Amino acid sequence: MDRKIRVLLFKPGLDGHWRGIITVSKALSEAGMETIFAGFKNLEGMVETALQEDVDVIGFSVHSGAHLEWARAVVEALEKEGCRDDFLLLIGGVFPQEDHQPLKEIGIDGVFGPGTPTSAIVEFIHSELASRSHKK
Amino acid sequence: MRENYQKLEEEYSRWKGESQQWPERDGIFRTDSGIPINQLYTPLDVKDLDYLEDIGFPGFPPYTRGIYPNMYRGKFWTIRMFSGFGTPEETNQRWRLLYEEGETGFSAAADNLTTLALDPDMFPGIEAEVGKEGVPIYSIRGMEALVEGLPIDRISVALVVTPMAGPAITTTYFNVARKRGIAKETLIGTTQGDLLTTCCAIIPWGAVDPQHMLKLACDLIEYCIPMKEAPRWNPVNFTTYNYREGGIDAVQEIAMGLANAVAHIDELLSRGWKIDDFVHRLAFHLSAHRDFFEEIAKYRAARKLWYRLLRERYRPENPRAYQFRFHVQTAGSSLTAQQPMLNIIRTAYQALEAVLGGCQSLHTNSYDEAICLPSEEAVTLAVRTQEILQEETGVANVIDPLAGSYYVEALTKELEERIWDYFLKIEEAGGVAEALSSGWLFGQMAEAFHKRRRDQESGAEKVVGVNCYVKEEEEPPPAFRINPRAAEIELERLEKLRRERDNARVRSLLDELRRVCEQNQNVLPVVSQLTAAGATLGEITDVYREIWGLWDLPIVA
Repeated sequence: MDRKIRVLLFKPGLDGHWRGIITVSKALSEAGMETIFAGFKNLEGMVETALQEDVDVIGFSVHSGAHLEWARAVVEALEKEGCRDDFLLLIGGVFPQEDHQPLKEIGIDGVFGPGTPTSAIVEFIHSELASRSHKK
Repeated sequence: MRENYQKLEEEYSRWKGESQQWPERDGIFRTDSGIPINQLYTPLDVKDLDYLEDIGFPGFPPYTRGIYPNMYRGKFWTIRMFSGFGTPEETNQRWRLLYEEGETGFSAAADNLTTLALDPDMFPGIEAEVGKEGVPIYSIRGMEALVEGLPIDRISVALVVTPMAGPAITTTYFNVARKRGIAKETLIGTTQGDLLTTCCAIIPWGAVDPQHMLKLACDLIEYCIPMKEAPRWNPVNFTTYNYREGGIDAVQEIAMGLANAVAHIDELLSRGWKIDDFVHRLAFHLSAHRDFFEEIAKYRAARKLWYRLLRERYRPENPRAYQFRFHVQTAGSSLTAQQPMLNIIRTAYQALEAVLGGCQSLHTNSYDEAICLPSEEAVTLAVRTQEILQEETGVANVIDPLAGSYYVEALTKELEERIWDYFLKIEEAGGVAEALSSGWLFGQMAEAFHKRRRDQESGAEKVVGVNCYVKEEEEPPPAFRINPRAAEIELERLEKLRRERDNARVRSLLDELRRVCEQNQNVLPVVSQLTAAGATLGEITDVYREIWGLWDLPIVA
């Protein structure tokens, strides 16, 4: 039997808007993935949990407007441990369309703004992970 | 109106028989909270209502029609826009603009750090949050800059924070006013400091447990009202708006608000105060959501239920205590990033609900708020939306114009019953502090998140521009950007403050606060001295964390 896709979800920083990330967590588990909601995580703690739990995907949400700063910090924390490429990295939250490209340039693989159907996130995870394992 | 109910019933059956011959369009004929909606309402639906008992006159029990005898014929509701970003100076400029555009009350949207009562240099990375979601107010210096030159002796200010920050932020404001020669005894305004918002709506970082947050909220109420330090201040605002944003319905919204108020009332009674010492200053902040008539009925039912709750349980003597005073904010969660101009229309309908429901003050959202904080252009449009209601539509010329509508009256009654049932359910779960600690309330919120998603993704809940009438290619509006130097400016402000203040005095006052926390006394008197002496938000609230510990939230995804 195939191993379930494992996803770590967390909130970086202080932004307490939790509706989005819990909604996504439920949608991903309904789609057959295993999700771990880590709440607020300091970034070192997040990397540690991601490695320990051997997840395939890391997702986080920012609703405070500090999405660019936190995206940079998350990528840096992963790079510092040399494990950036071990994970598919996703961000969700409230940010303008014009920031999607900068977020991707920072190194986020999947960028999901307000109004995204959760099915789009599920599809993205499946297709990206499939193409990655193909490359391996 | 004279009614012959027997004849009416016969005619109703005749109409029903005829109507059933006609096909009905596809649709879900239920209110947002799930109350089945008949095709038609008639006197038969309200025949058990007693006008004086259930509806009555505005300004008189049970206050269904409004809390003042003259409502908007006396004065319009207050236009109060929730606003803040960047630095206190920039927010001050925005407040001046809003004031010039006709705003009649201020409301401070604070950044994450201020809301949670942290300093931006407490640990690395968090300076990213400075000024992002609201105005940074970490000390008396920030507050001074925020209200500089504004007529705070005449215009009320709402300080929107958590119970963690409430005592410090409120006394900071009082101390700024005093420096400007305005006594706190005369100040008008509100501290939101809502326990359930802090827990259910926005999960808090670095908060103490719910019981201690309740203590802090009640310390502030006690200080302002029974201790008479700021008797005209609203020391708490039960912000059901924020819980509603999570996806719960109108019934849960009001029930949670009432249960939250009960927790505060019971805590203050247990301290030995009498109900009449404080209850008249408790106020609420409600949502105006999608379901037009249900929201209007909700406001009417909420007023009646507050009256009923106080009369049945607490029996205050002051008639003002029974008046359910509330601010309304149109529903941010109903706004869409897709086709954002549609948000102007949504907001206008929701503002009309609030006005037909008899709110005391109103915030209208800006159309760009599903994307960023509002631009000047967008916020001016939002203010104009209220001004059109006031000056052009005539809706404020008569009190409670929907009273007597068979539908609205039947819905008001139905909501009243359902809200009361859910309120009792929260009590069964142990009341709000226990229901937070046990995770029960988080479970209720999470259930709502999932239900809304399923309904929106299945199309059961239509959202124009998102799951119907979708436009493929869109030109997004320009995003409002926060000053990128905000963090630098605020860190400098803090550093300068710490250099210039009397640090020995701050240290000895912090020790005094430790003693007060350990002995479970009211923190306000010493916190007021601390904020005057230039202690920062984070320094003060770290004492709470140190003495009471951090709360480990019972959240399960």
